[in-house]
Formats: sequence, structure tokens, C-alpha cells
Amino acid sequence: MTELLRISHTMNMDWRYGTSWYFAKFIRALQDKRLILGLRCPVCRRVYLPPRPVCGNCYAEMREWVEVKDIGTVLAATVVHVPIIDPLTGQPRPAPYGMALIQLDGADTTINFYLAENDAAKLHIGMRVRAVWREQRTGTLSDIVHFKEVSS
Amino acid sequence: MRRVAIIGTGQTKHAKSHDDMNQAELVRQAATRALADAGITYRDVDAIVLSNMELFEGRALPEMWVGEGASGYLKPVMKIATGGTSGTSACIAGLHQCASGLFDTVLVVGWEKHSEGATQTGMALTDPLWDRNIASGAVGNFALSISQYMAERGVTPEQAAKVAVKARRNAAKNPHAHLQMPDITVDRVLSSRMLADPVHLLDMCPQSDGACALVYAAEDRAESLCARPAWVRATVTRHDQPYIGDLDRRLLTMRTLRDAARKAYQQVGITDPLNQIDVAEIYEPVSYAELAWYEALGLCAEGEAGKLIDDGSTEMNGVLPVNPSGGVLSTNPVGASGVIRVAEAAMQIMVRAGAHQVANVRTALATGYGVYAWSDVIILSADK
Repeated sequence: MTELLRISHTMNMDWRYGTSWYFAKFIRALQDKRLILGLRCPVCRRVYLPPRPVCGNCYAEMREWVEVKDIGTVLAATVVHVPIIDPLTGQPRPAPYGMALIQLDGADTTINFYLAENDAAKLHIGMRVRAVWREQRTGTLSDIVHFKEVSS
Repeated sequence: MRRVAIIGTGQTKHAKSHDDMNQAELVRQAATRALADAGITYRDVDAIVLSNMELFEGRALPEMWVGEGASGYLKPVMKIATGGTSGTSACIAGLHQCASGLFDTVLVVGWEKHSEGATQTGMALTDPLWDRNIASGAVGNFALSISQYMAERGVTPEQAAKVAVKARRNAAKNPHAHLQMPDITVDRVLSSRMLADPVHLLDMCPQSDGACALVYAAEDRAESLCARPAWVRATVTRHDQPYIGDLDRRLLTMRTLRDAARKAYQQVGITDPLNQIDVAEIYEPVSYAELAWYEALGLCAEGEAGKLIDDGSTEMNGVLPVNPSGGVLSTNPVGASGVIRVAEAAMQIMVRAGAHQVANVRTALATGYGVYAWSDVIILSADK
């Protein structure tokens, strides 16, 4: 019987994604002013992150930009122990690391983001966290390194 | 709309790695078995719907290549790709083709060959401007939702582990199932490696290679070919907003599944799903999700899901056996997983489920789950 084979491929591919002006405005504010901008729905008044042109609930176009704070409340938290491949680098992201669903002050949706804390015993729903910004910002969401507990 | 029934199903043995068959061969094996089960040949098939998430294998246009494995030569072939719901979406698309009167006999085949690619990377390749910068894999996202679910509903890791044990014990009676762990215990689940608090390795579904097919026939044709066909009585699909944080308390509310189930029950006249449905094949990618889905499907009141697994209601001998096949927790070739739910539900009605057959099944429920909480609900019945 013929031996079965596996043929390996490694591909390096370049992609160039258009941002639309919604995301361009968001990312410029992030990079230049450390400002997080959300969009408010004219019908239900929810403030959305990430920015997108239409409120899915109301199918209404959103044009009202709102400043959202870089401080918020943890609504869900976990510590990831498995090294998931980081899609930006193609390399495993070192584990463990904390993740949370964070409702930023001024936003109605939550964002999932990395936490500075990676001890599950020290994470709890309701904890207050603040963004830690990179000194050299490059105009991506990763200009925020992670969120860190606000000492009270 | 014509009445349509499932008259045959076929599956490969699902496994961690099928080095012996490529994608087209997996599809051909499942399709051939489904046609034999239906008692027809490939010449009888009028149209084909395929289901696959090609990003996981990194091979473009798989329908061009595997269509032939499904007898697609000189026939209409199309492919559906909607994440975890791909399989149930393909089943619904195939139903539409048959119910509309366009075609009398339609073959649906779903497959995936996870061993060929990097599934976690594939899942991370969603929004390039947002999701990729904050990737934590499927398990990280599930764990976040589960932490909310536990906090609000008070379900315990032991109750989730019982779901994982139930699935793998059922799978031990299913020759097609990937994971075979007849000796699994709650302790083994709880002492397995922690992936993301509170989700242990054995709380999660595997990644599988495999294919599943089913055959639809309309009206008289279904009745003449099959002594006890599984009639499709309701299908409902609901999509939700795109980002994980758009949905308030996502796993708790599961508004897509809740809404789809209510609508489907209404169409069929189900008011007490726990007692009126005889068997369910639901898409539970993680043990905790099955508990949340009990509530969303109206099988119990909110906050009562833990009780349902504690008292054995959803075990093989319970009032409503959930996932006699072993479910997604035992077998997960993503493009096939939704087709497997529908095929297994149909097998229960057709009394062709073998060692994992539930007695006296007249009404069966199948669901699909995908992306950030999209849902399909399908109800099959022995009654036309």
C-alpha cells in the first residue's frame, strides 16, 4: 500500500483593507488625540463601538459622533491559557492573558479587550479599568496596549 | 409550497484527521451513503447544495472541485458559507429548492477538513480593522460570555461538566462520532486542562474531519421512496448584530435562538417544548452553551437550566433526550456540523439511529449556531 503524504504550504499574502471614512475618523482620533469616538443612533440613541454607518436595531444611518471615555466597567472577564495564533503576526500570543468585555463610560455597547491582569482570582465583574496607551501610536486599535484596573 | 421530507442520510466516520480521504472523497462517501439510504442513485438527484467554510482549509472555490464528489456534473450546484450555521443554512436552502417546485430531489452535503488548516487563525480572520487586534480565539470569546452567564444564572462548572459527560457517553453509541470516551466522568472534565476560565478542554468541542449528506424529496416522491420520511415542518433563521459587544449579555439573552424557536413552535403548534418535542439535536460548541440554549429554547424557565441537567431530563432516558449523537461536543467538522444536526434528527424519526435511537420519536428539533450568535431552528416530524 502506498504511504499517505501531507504536503505543507506556508503562504505570505498582502492585503490592503479600505477603512471607509467612519473607521478612518475613529482611528485618526485614536492616534492623534488618544480619543475614542463612538456613533449615536438617531432613533434608539444607543452609542456604538466600533463605529459603523448603520444601527442594526433601527436600520438608521448614524452621523452623530460622541466622545467615549477611556475608562469603563468590566461586564465579563476571563483568563485565556492557550496560545492562540495572533492574526497580526502569525505567531502564538503568549498566554496566559486576561480578556474582558468592557463598557466604556459613554458607550452602550461593550468592547472585548486585553487586560493587564492575568490572574483569574483578581478579576471580577464590575471592576473599573482604564486604557493603557502606547507612547508611539501607529493608527490601529493596538494603540491601546490593554486595560488596567483603576486603583480606588 | 410543497411538503418536503428527508428520505436518506449519510455520514463519514468523523475523526481528528482523515489522511486517507481528501475533501472530495469525504463528500463522495457521505453522498453515496445518503443516496443508498434513500434508495436512489445519483441520476435521481436534480440539484445539490454544499456547505463548507473554505478559509479553514485555505482552498478557494471548493465547490468546483468537490461538486463532482456530490454528483454535480451537469447539475445545478451552489455552496453556502455562514460560519457555524453553514450546515443548517444549506439544509434550509435545499428545502427551499425542493418546496418551491423547482426540483423534486435535492442533495445537501456539508464537510470540513480541519486537519488541513489552522482553525483558530481562520476564525480570527474576521474584521481586519477591529477583531484581529483583540483576538482570543473562539474559546476566549465563549469564556467571556460564560463568565456573565455563570454570574447571573448561578450555573456551576459541575453542571456544565455533566453536559460534557452526557455528550461523550452518547457519542460512544454513535459509530460516526469523532470523540470516543465511554469512561468519561465529571471529575475528568473538571481536571482537564483549563483553556480559558472557566472552560476546560473537555468542555469544548473538538475540530474534526468529516462530511454529512441528506436527501430531500417532495410530496408523493418522498412517500413512495420512504416508509417513514422525516417531514420538514418549520425552519426559521435569525441573524444579529456583527460584534461580540453589540449584544447585551449575549449568551444569556440569545435573542436569535429565542426568537427563532418561538416562531418555529408557533408554526407547528408547540406550546410545551420540553414535553411535545421527542428528541433534540442542538448545536452546542461548549458545554455551558447547551445549558444557556435550554433556556433560550424554552425547555425550562430562566435560571433553571442547571436543574434540567441535574435531574436527567435531557439524558437518553429523560423526557427530552438532547444530542443522542453526542452533539458538536463530540464531532465538529464545521461545514458539516449543522447538516449532522438535521440528519441525526431525521434519523431519529426514520428509526435509523441504531444504538443511539430514542423510542417513539414523532417530533424532532435541530438547531444551528454561528458567528456571534446567529441561529437556525428546524423542526421535523413523522407527520406530514
